[in-house]
Amino acid sequence: MKLIVFCLFTIYCCSLVKASYPMERKKLQEVLRELKMLKHDIPNTELMMNTPPKDIEDCCCLTALTCFRETLLQHFGISGKYQKKLYKSLNHTLTISGLNFCNTETSTTNCSTCHSHPKEKASEFFNRLESLVQRGLSRIN
Amino acid sequence: MRVYILFLFAMMSTRLLLLLYLTGHVFAKKSQDVDCLVVNLDYVSCKWNKTGTPEVNYTFYSKLGNDQWKICNHYLTENNVNIGCNQQVDSRDRFKTFRTRLTNGSENFEKGHELKKQVKLNPPTNLTVLNGSDFNLWFYWNHTSPAPLHCVEGEVRFRTNNNNWDFSKVSAGIQKYCINLPSSSSRYELQVRNRIDDSCGESIFWSDWSEPVVWGSNNSTYSKDLMSPWTPVIYVVGAISFILLAMLLLHHERLRIILVPVVPKPSPFLHNIEDWFQFSKGLKDNFKPDYNERACPVREYNYVSQSDVVSSDGSTCSVTTDQTNCSIEHDPEDLSAPFPSNPVSSEEVQKASV
Repeated sequence: MKLIVFCLFTIYCCSLVKASYPMERKKLQEVLRELKMLKHDIPNTELMMNTPPKDIEDCCCLTALTCFRETLLQHFGISGKYQKKLYKSLNHTLTISGLNFCNTETSTTNCSTCHSHPKEKASEFFNRLESLVQRGLSRIN
Repeated sequence: MRVYILFLFAMMSTRLLLLLYLTGHVFAKKSQDVDCLVVNLDYVSCKWNKTGTPEVNYTFYSKLGNDQWKICNHYLTENNVNIGCNQQVDSRDRFKTFRTRLTNGSENFEKGHELKKQVKLNPPTNLTVLNGSDFNLWFYWNHTSPAPLHCVEGEVRFRTNNNNWDFSKVSAGIQKYCINLPSSSSRYELQVRNRIDDSCGESIFWSDWSEPVVWGSNNSTYSKDLMSPWTPVIYVVGAISFILLAMLLLHHERLRIILVPVVPKPSPFLHNIEDWFQFSKGLKDNFKPDYNERACPVREYNYVSQSDVVSSDGSTCSVTTDQTNCSIEHDPEDLSAPFPSNPVSSEEVQKASV
């Protein structure tokens, strides 16, 4: 009886893993839409923000995601409609799993902290965040 | 004197500057511009012959992101001179900066490239057409790149009977297109091309158009107006019928009169219009231009009973309506007349009362 329950539980977990791929894709597409709405909503600003680099190692993408999220919170808050939505989406488990490119077996990378990143303009900040999300979508089958 | 010296100094300075400019231009290094393109997400193709074939053979190095420099394994040559390089890279890393280096002795040209949007896919393959059970025409195709299906968007163009092309976008993730209720007598030709979708980093280049697929009649020569084989037969039969009818009309007068009645010819003499109609003489006179109608006097009549008229003066008086001046004759036997049997004018009533 215990073996049957264990097998059923294993099959159920495997189906969840297989079914999560479309959910991750949909979530990342939702993040892209919210990001575009926010870029359109915020006028051209000369605000300078700590921005992760263009060339992010695979195992540092989650660290970069955290940096993007916290910098967004620090400079724009969550009072606005699109700011709040984007922050919540960037904090979602599906977004985090969708942008996790790290193969833990080969991970030897030391990722830079958020404050160590040089400051860039807000437009460049949003472009790099967009590229990170597109990178995640291009890896999901 | 001072002015002359200043003038000489200015002239010499100008000439010196001109000489320096010309020699600098001659001895300046000609920089090599490298253009790179991600081909079908399989490899990166870089070329440096945009301004012409180089004079020397350069060695090409490249690196992606923070990786090490890699030397080129597959050069593209022209007249035994290196003009480009195809470098194998992981296409998923096209979001990282791609750096290139051309070296030849002491010459060294480095350049950074953003490859995210510099992607050109191969054209779609296996383009097929099916006549569906819903009587619509369905077109299907595949793409050969390693990109996920949801990252590839398409564009189709089709034409009917070699007319102008019609274009239509196909959303990412969809590899089919439908033409509703096609005509069985028309010829349909369709081609498709694709590129990376915006959600995965939209590429600025479309792929080439695929091989065309055709549905409909293949053997006949196509023109804009497709002629039926029965049309010449109908033309000949119609012409023969027309000739026969013309001959019949010319030789059979009776038939001609029935089919083409004679139109009466109007008389050149003018007649009075009133002769055309059956009017009475009196009514005819009314239409004469010199007709003059005299006014008919209208009198007021009071209705008085005959007994009252008789008792007043013992004599009866007869009253008649003077209608000699009226154009309308009153018929006394006409019972429908509005006048009463013994109308009395106001003048006769005053006489009777006296």
